[in-house]
Formats: sequence, structure tokens, C-alpha cells
Amino acid sequence: MEEQLQRLPAEQLFQAEIDALIAAEKDPIPTGWRMSPRSVKTYICGGRVGSQIITPKYIGHERLVEIAIATLVTDRALLLIGEPGTAKSWLSEHLAAAINGDSTKVIQGTAGTTEEQIRYSWNYAMLIANGPSKEAMLKSPVFHAMETGTIARVEEISRCASEVQDALISILSEKRISVPELSMEVPAKKGFSVIATANTRDKGVNEMSAALKRRFNIVVLPAPADLESEMEIVRTRVEQLSAGLDLNAALPPVDVMEKVCTIFRELRSGETLDHSQKVKGTTGVLSTAEAISLLCNSMALAGSFGNGKVEDEDLAAGLQGAIIKDDDKDSVAWKEYLEHVMKKRGSKWLGLYKACKDLL
Amino acid sequence: MAAVRLMAGLRPVEKGHHMQQEQYSKPHVFGIRHLSPAGAWHLRHYLTEKKPKLVLIEGPSDLNDQIDNITRPETKPPIAILAYTKAAPVRTILYPFAEYSPEYQAILWCKENDTPCRFMDLPSDVFLALEEKRFLAEEAENKGEEERTNVYALLDKQAGEDGHETFWERTMEQSADMESYHRGTDTFGGSIRELSVGQEKDWPEILVREAFMKRQLKEAVDSGLKPEEIVLVTGAYHVDGLLDRTAEPMSDEELKSLPRTEANHTLMPYSNYRLSTRSGYGAGNRAPAYYGILWEALTRGDLSYTARNYLSRIAGYQRANGTPVSSAEVIEAVQLSHALARLRGSHFPALRDLRDAAVTCLGGGSFAAINLAVADTEIGTAIGTLPDGVSRTSIQEDFYRQLKEWKLEKYRDIAAQDLTLDLRENRKVSSSKSAFLDLYRSFFLHQLRVLGVSFVKPEAVNQDNATWAERWVLRWTPEAEIELVEAALKGDTVAQAASFSMKERVENSPNMSDIALVIEDAFTCGMASAVTYAIQALQAMAVENVSVTELAATAHRLSVVLQYGSIRQLDSEPLKPILQQIFYRACLIFPGACVCDDAASKELVEAMEQLNGAALAHDFLESRTWCDTLQEIAARDDLNTKLSGFAAAILLERGSMDNDRLLLEMQRRLSKGVPADLGAGWFEGLAMKNRYALIARLSLWEHLDTYLDTLDDEEFKRALVFLRRAFADFSAAEKDEIAENMGEIWGLNGQQVSEAVNSTLNQSEQQIVESLDDFDFDL
Repeated sequence: MEEQLQRLPAEQLFQAEIDALIAAEKDPIPTGWRMSPRSVKTYICGGRVGSQIITPKYIGHERLVEIAIATLVTDRALLLIGEPGTAKSWLSEHLAAAINGDSTKVIQGTAGTTEEQIRYSWNYAMLIANGPSKEAMLKSPVFHAMETGTIARVEEISRCASEVQDALISILSEKRISVPELSMEVPAKKGFSVIATANTRDKGVNEMSAALKRRFNIVVLPAPADLESEMEIVRTRVEQLSAGLDLNAALPPVDVMEKVCTIFRELRSGETLDHSQKVKGTTGVLSTAEAISLLCNSMALAGSFGNGKVEDEDLAAGLQGAIIKDDDKDSVAWKEYLEHVMKKRGSKWLGLYKACKDLL
Repeated sequence: MAAVRLMAGLRPVEKGHHMQQEQYSKPHVFGIRHLSPAGAWHLRHYLTEKKPKLVLIEGPSDLNDQIDNITRPETKPPIAILAYTKAAPVRTILYPFAEYSPEYQAILWCKENDTPCRFMDLPSDVFLALEEKRFLAEEAENKGEEERTNVYALLDKQAGEDGHETFWERTMEQSADMESYHRGTDTFGGSIRELSVGQEKDWPEILVREAFMKRQLKEAVDSGLKPEEIVLVTGAYHVDGLLDRTAEPMSDEELKSLPRTEANHTLMPYSNYRLSTRSGYGAGNRAPAYYGILWEALTRGDLSYTARNYLSRIAGYQRANGTPVSSAEVIEAVQLSHALARLRGSHFPALRDLRDAAVTCLGGGSFAAINLAVADTEIGTAIGTLPDGVSRTSIQEDFYRQLKEWKLEKYRDIAAQDLTLDLRENRKVSSSKSAFLDLYRSFFLHQLRVLGVSFVKPEAVNQDNATWAERWVLRWTPEAEIELVEAALKGDTVAQAASFSMKERVENSPNMSDIALVIEDAFTCGMASAVTYAIQALQAMAVENVSVTELAATAHRLSVVLQYGSIRQLDSEPLKPILQQIFYRACLIFPGACVCDDAASKELVEAMEQLNGAALAHDFLESRTWCDTLQEIAARDDLNTKLSGFAAAILLERGSMDNDRLLLEMQRRLSKGVPADLGAGWFEGLAMKNRYALIARLSLWEHLDTYLDTLDDEEFKRALVFLRRAFADFSAAEKDEIAENMGEIWGLNGQQVSEAVNSTLNQSEQQIVESLDDFDFDL
């Protein structure tokens, strides 16, 4: 039955690794946790326990992982902020999986999320028939986490309306939830915490209040640290995606991926990779995820209308689409980039330069 | 590798002070890390415990006379002992002391306890001579200073992502008792020594230094002291060398054979900022103010004070600068920093933990939000002070030497004197130094000008010889001397200080044309390195949202430097790519900027003129891009018409617009239905340039005439106001010629028309015209 699922939760997918880490545990374990903070870090950043190899789940920026784990040790809630495609949810899921062996206590925030979904709601049939009772109460994942002393996850918290976000404030500061209908108060067990994720640069997000932000320790997840790690991520994902999509094109060669990642990184960071020159940035995010979809798109173009190999022309169309969003400034920035950076890179880049120039 | 093993805490070797208990014939050697608060703290206790009769400190042995100045009550660290060569090029060695320098505290302890203390290292003149030799050797190998093998870089690699600083902070600075501190220094000195034995280029020099220090020790023992009555304070690195019995003290012959050079020395005030920029072993410290907090924590006997103080200071700075930070957040940050330290198996947070906690809890995850607070708390702004008259710095020395070298000594006088320079080569003399004497003088004077030393004042020169002549007024005052001493903080020589101050200006420049001004200064000062730096900054700024007028002004400045730079014997080649880039960017955004009102159009006309000038002056700027831009501006109908007209005028001047195109454009711009003010505005723009070419085109005037005929009365009044303005600055002769044209068109005698046009207005006409001034254009 498991094979038919599109995707398993992290704790099942990596059960062997988690078990090995727990078995080999030597350091003190915080209350409510299944392994020590150091083992959590090993689980996420990779390593080896006995004969079991721990695959790295989050590449680069180990220090940020340390800060995230240390935050949860201090009983503070953790807020992961980053641009789209920086593995926020991924990290949050794996943290919960390693700490509690359960990453499924999750609220997926949308503009339509209500306060009940954060606190609790009622089985209305029972409520009307028998009045309020413990049995008629439907507990939210946060409620469950407080009762069991575990971690609840709130995805895309900034997409929730601000009154819904506010519901979290008192829960996080008082660490208890009150149920006036039953005149009772449920205190959180030790080990309870919340990991929330939020988007910074997107449409349709609500600004978070200072009061709520103050309840969280904030960790900003950056784009991949260097060209190599970004290319590694792009390569694996393009491989996986294109296998399922029947694109009829060969995988783009390494130098094509390098070119795309280089252009993305340079426009994203506002300077050339060797730091010798500043370049004008664009309004778009240009995330790693976009680089992946751009390459898949170029493969589809090459497979359907070209010779099955990703050529400079296929790439140029995709690049222009990804970089020039709807703003005039993007077009100026792209032209400047072509003239001042790409043109001067020599023969290896000349084909791409000409293809891009022709499209303008 | 050695350091890896050591960092895992596996080093079993016990040496130094641990063996002293058994063998009483050895002196006490206290190994330190320079600028280490824990070292200073433990050293004081160590001295109190041992009660030595003499303390020998690592430092140039000819500078003992400075010890008295160091202990004077007016002296406040950070200060530095500076030794420098008398001859050019000036080389310097520097011994900075912060309050928490072990050496400084040892000197203070000796003063408080009436114990003699001396420096015991090689004399500074030997050091400087060795320095000189090394520099020459490196130059011969064609290697820069950065390429020297550096054990600290090696250590950094092995210490992992933290770098060695954090490691030493955890092992030494946070050691609560002397035993663990000594274990830390043993590891530190030992591992560096192990990594560098025979490896580092300086190795022979290190052996020479240790032999000399042993000689000093032997002299002290010979004078009647027992070895155990002496404490040696030295870098942890040298402990093994000084206790090594197989190495002999330096002999008299060896001492005589050491190279020497003529040198001076002085105490100078130092700053936290300079301490932090010269980090590395012995010379500096990345976070001097933070180490100050560590020192305070030690003197209070409470190591947990560091975290509280650091994070509260950051919070305090943020509050003072308008960002609210609650105490609750500071508490959270303290907790997080402790959790981070525990994750690393450490009892107290290190600087890295504290900074990360501050970013997470006080900065909302972004370093940029607290970077100023961090700089203030970690580096700080403290500047040391010295008693009056103690300082004679190398920059003063350099100034007097150059004054002599460039034959300017007679100008060092309270009476103001004029000096005129001719920058061209003097072909009558043989040596290049005297051939370009005036040029070198000019470099020197410009450097002083950049430093703000009031000794020099530039005067304007007339146009004819502006490219090669300069006039200066020189006047020496006591203030100038003070300004020079103040400049000592910026560098060791006039040139270095000028370069530093230009760098500072570049960093603080809000806009591009200011940086272009620095580039101009760098050229006048003859300083190529500053040019490179400024160009980088300019490039970085050119991609920001800069207005086209700013870009044009910058391009103009650079263009001028390029055109007149050759007289200063400097390579202006590096300016070309940046000018190209700025020029291209200006071309791209110029059409967009032309959507503006008439008031703003004035600046843009000037910008267009400046860019055109640059395009004409330099072949390497793509004139095709520029012409395309102009064509676009000239052709588009949605821009300020005056600018469109002016673009057409430039095209006309460049020969890129033929007669037919011009007429067609004129017909379109001045056709019925186009509001009169727009049409006339266009003509005004067109008439701002190359009037003779316009005047010569009869068909153009014919068309203007027919256009005016098509207007009704109201429209004519509007057009009149603009046309009157357009012709306002035409000269009488030009008006004559226009009149002749008109005469020809109307079939009249040109003379008569000219008289009518050029005669002054009579009273009734004046009234009519004045009434037009109140004309309401919003009709």
C-alpha cells in the first residue's frame, strides 16, 4: 500500500536512520525529545552512526540548523523565514521528525484558515445533541501537541489572516489553552513547541505583528551557499522531475546547468561570482526552484520542437521569461547583464549571449 | 595533522611552568596570547604569586624608555609603540596595547609593585632591517605579502567553520582557573610551533629572536639574580624555544653581525578600529571592544557577565537608534546563546554564539538589521590618549623628509608663499626625479590637501595652461602640525594616510559623482591603488537606482580625467570599462527619464550634452548606442518636447539626421492640432544648438512661417511666449540672419525686417508682451 502513496512522511522515509541515531545516543536528551540536540543535527546535516550512513537532508548553512535546534531546546517557538524555494517546510518537517518521530501535526495556513483550526472546534451534531463535552471537542494539531508535549508545525503562517495569527500569541506566551465552554484550561506539557514557516517576498501574504514575531526566534533561510551546492540540488531535482514527465530530451549537460545557476546566482546576489563586479538585480526571486523548472522547460522545448538536445536558443527563451517578469527595470537589468557580464565571458558563453540578444 | 589532534584535546605533553616545580634553576616563563584578557588576568595573579625581582617582556629591548611613558597616569590605551625607519621607503613595526594586553598589565603590575621590568626582544632597528631584507627578497620573488605562508590560515582550515578565533576563545579566554589557561596556551603555542617549525619563512628570524631573548636572560642572571626570581612574559609560541636547553644564547659576534638600520620610535595613540583591522597573531584583534567586555567580566569575577553585557549593549544601541527592543528579547537571546554554547560542549557562549543569538532574537533573523550595533559593540570607537609631547609619529617624519626631498623646506614658514608648478617634463635635466620635480611636488601637495592639512591651499589657474600648471599657496601654522599628528591614525606615511582617507570617503559617499571626485583626487595625488579601489565602488554603485543626471555627471568627470590624465604619468586604462558601463546604462535609461516637466528638463539637457561630449571624446564608447538613444528621444511623442528637440539638434550636429528627416520631424511637431506650447517647446530645444546650421536651412523657416499662420489668435499667443524664449539668447547677428531668411520668404528686403526685429519694443508693445507673462496656460 505504501508504494501507491505519492510521498511518505519524513519519519517513515528515514526510519532506519532515526532508529540508528536513537540506538547510538550518548548525550543527554531534553524532556519530550527522542534524541539529543547533537543527534538531531547529525540527522539533518548528515554523517554516520555505526554502519548507518545518515544522508544529509539540508545542504550547507549548518550553523543555521544549529540555531534552529538550540531555539527548540530553549522552549522557544521557531520561525523559518525565506524566499520561495529555500526548503523551509522541508527543514521544518525533518526537525519534527527527528525530535518527536512525528511530523504530521501540521496546520497548512491559507487565507481561509480560521481560529478554530488553530485552537479547537466542535462536532456540531454532538454539541447540539449533548451540549459541550470533551467528547464533542475536535482538537487542533496545536492542541494535540500541547497535550503530548511535542512539536506542532504551522506552514505558511503569513498567509493566514492576522486575527488567526493572533490566536497563536497567547498560546505561545502562556503555554496553555483555555476552553471556556468546559471551564477548563489545558496546560502544555514540557517539550511543546511550534515551528512555523513564512514567505517574505510574495503576493498575498499578511504582515506578521510584532507581538507574534516576538514569540518566535527567527531564522532566515538563504539561497544555497555556493554554486556547487546549488548545481547539485538542481541536477538531482531535474533528473527526478524529467524522469516522470516524458520530455523526450537528454538531460542538460553540466555546462548548461552551470550557466543557468551562474546567471541566477549573479542576478540574485547582485554581483558576479568572483565578486569583481556588481550587477543590477531583478524584481523576481530567481529561486533554485525556478532554475529547475526553467531547465525542465528548456528540455520540453528541445524535445518537442528541437533536436532533443538543450541548445542555447531553448535556454535563451526560458531565461528571458524567468528574468524579465512584468517590470521595465528587469529588461534594463537583463540588457546590462548581457553587455557587461555575459559578453565579456569569452567563447564559451558567446552562443548564449547571441541567442539572448536576438530575442530582445 | 598536529592541530586536529590538539583540538581534540589529546595533547598529553606537559611542559613549561609544570616542570618548574621540579627544576628550580629555570626562570618562570609565562606564555601568553597577545591581546588576551584571560592572559592579562592570570598573568597578574601569577606575578603576585611568584613575586619576581625582574620581569622581562617580549618587546624591542631598545624601547625601554617608553615603559615610563606607558605607566604615566595620562596614558589611556589603546596605544601602540611604533618604530620606523628614517629613510624612505618608510617601514614600520607596531606593538599595540589594549587595556587587556598581558604585556600592558605586566608593566602596570611592575610599576605598582616597584619591580623593575624590561623589554627583551631584538632591538627595533634590527627588526626593521630584517623587515627590509624580507621585503626585498619577496619583491625579487615577485610575491605579494598576502602570499606568504601563514600558519593562522592553516589553523583556520583545520579548526572548521568557526576559524581558530572561536576555538581559542573557548579554550583560553573562558578558562576560569590558571591551570586550564596554561593548558590552552600550551596547546596554542605548541600547535602553531609544530605547524611552523622550519616551514614558515620567518623561521630563521624566530630562532634569532629566541637566541637574543636568552642572551637578555643570561645577562640578568649574570648581574646576580637567580633564574627563579625572573618572570619572562612572551608569546606562547616562544615558550618551547626559550626553555629549550640545547639552543645557546646569542654570542657577542652574532650580535654584532645582525643587520641594523637607522630608526626612530615613539608612542602613539591607537584606536579600536585599527586594532580590529590588523587582526592576526600579535598585531590585532577582530573584536577589541568585545574583548574589553571579557576583561571587565574577569575583573568582576563573573564570566556570565559577558553574555548579558554584550546583548544588552546591542539592545541599547538599537533602542538609541530608534528600534525598540524589549528586555524579554534580550533574555531570550541570552538563553539561546547558552543553548548554542552547550551544543558545542562549552560552558559559556563565545562571541560567535552571542552574535548568532543577537541576529536571531534581536535582529529578526537578519544580520543587516543589527550590523551597526554589532560593529559598535564588538569593535567600538575608543581612541587612546597620551601625555602631551610624547608622540613623534612616522607620518611627521615622512612629511619633513619629503619636504626636503622636493625642495619645499623654505615654504615651511608662517608667512604665506605662492608656488607655481609646471607639471610637464623638464627636458633640460638628466635624472627623471628632477625632470618631473614639479609633478612629484604636486602629488605630495595634493596628498596633503586630501588629508586636510591646512599647510597647502590650491589656487585657480587660468584656462590656457589649465592642463599642465598648478598654483598653490603654502603657509605653515601650529595647527598644520596637529592635523598631521591626527593623520597618523590613518597611516604611517603621508601617502598611506591619504589613501586611507580616500578609501573612507569612497565608503561614505552617498552618490556617484562624489566617488568620481575621489577618482579625480586619486589621479592628482598620483595614487594608482586608490583609483582601483574607487573604481570598484563606483561600479558597485552604478547598478543601483541612480538618476541619469548623476550618471552623466560621473561620465563627464571620468571623461575629463581620461583626457587630461596623461600629464600625470598614470595609467588611465582601468577607467575605460567603468566609463563604458556608466555610459551604456545612461543610454538605456535616458529615454525613460525624459518624461518630465520643463523645470527638470534643464538638468537633462545638460546631461545629454555631457554624455554627447564623452561620446565624442572617446572612441571606445559605442556611438551607435548613443545615436540610437538620441533617435528614440527625438522620435517619441510622449516625452518632454524640449528634450526631443534637443536630441534632434545633437543628431543634426553629428550629421546623423538629414534635411528631409528634419523637415518631416518639424512638420509633425509643428502641425495643427499639436498644442502650441509643445510645438514651440520642441523648437526651443532644437534651437539650443548649432544655430548656424539651422539658420542656413531656408526651408525650415518657411515651414515655421506657415505653421504660425495656421494658428488662431489664442494659440498664437501661447506659441509666441515660447518662441520668444527660444530666440531670447540669439545674438543680434543671428537674429539678422533669421530676418534675412524671413525677408526672403516674405519677399521683403532683409534689412528692413532685421531693423524691425532688432529694434527695442515701444511702450505699447511692451505692455502687450507683459500681459502675456500672466498668460494662463491651463486654458
